[in-house]
Amino acid sequence: MNTGKTVNIEPPAPNEDKPETREAVGRPVTQRKGEVRLGREVQARIGQQLRAMYDDVVSEGVPQHITDLVRRLSEQDEGVPQHITDLVRRLSEQDDGAA
Amino acid sequence: MKLDPATRDQVLATVPSLRAFAISLSGNVDRADDLVQETLLRALAHIDSFQPGTNMPAWLFTILRNLFRSEYRKRRREVEDADGRYAETLKSHPEQPGRVEFSEFRAALAKLPSDQREALILVGASGFSYEDAAAICGCAVGTIKSRVNRARTRLADLLAIDSVDDFGPDRATRAVLAGGGRT
Repeated sequence: MNTGKTVNIEPPAPNEDKPETREAVGRPVTQRKGEVRLGREVQARIGQQLRAMYDDVVSEGVPQHITDLVRRLSEQDEGVPQHITDLVRRLSEQDDGAA
Repeated sequence: MKLDPATRDQVLATVPSLRAFAISLSGNVDRADDLVQETLLRALAHIDSFQPGTNMPAWLFTILRNLFRSEYRKRRREVEDADGRYAETLKSHPEQPGRVEFSEFRAALAKLPSDQREALILVGASGFSYEDAAAICGCAVGTIKSRVNRARTRLADLLAIDSVDDFGPDRATRAVLAGGGRT
């Protein structure tokens, strides 16, 4: 199911270790004047809480109605029926002939 | 829209994270699920504009965020105090079982300005790079960095995190520390 290998989104695995990019929140960013610098452990702790909360939802996976919706939509054929496509093509060819 | 199975699976693989993002934005599971559904309807209707090999999650997150934003603007016109309403929404929809431990954190998160909240979540929880987060939010990378930083500072303040000791195993103590005026 998880084919998103080229991106850094975590698959729905609750206990898996966080990808490296998510550690960004535990790291200080460039400080601007007037911004308070937080301690490393405070930043790490906020990052941890944030991920725990988020992963709690991620671990629920894909709701059934969404799976059904995506499957249904992805199996639908193109919106324009073949006979309409043919008709439009025929008409446009006639126009060319008349011009 | 005949979708090749690989693309379809890519979409489905993004859904759990997309949903978590939607819940973080809206503070409401039902609204979040509507947002996700609407996002997928739009995405699949315009799947031709997605370039294979590019970042599917970033594409879907961008659509969802734009939907949320336009809905939020609409509501804002209807209700003056949109942020207050957000907080109210949180109260009237109690956390689902198993989520109680995050209620304090969610409440603090709800007090952040929405641009800071989304930046923090995209980078800190969804796992996007600053560059991807900037693309999703349609702003500069520096703006995202600054928002994330301000969000963390404010959260630390709201949660009264002064030292690592506040996070001891004693949940009751932690609740008292974080709860402030609660009795």
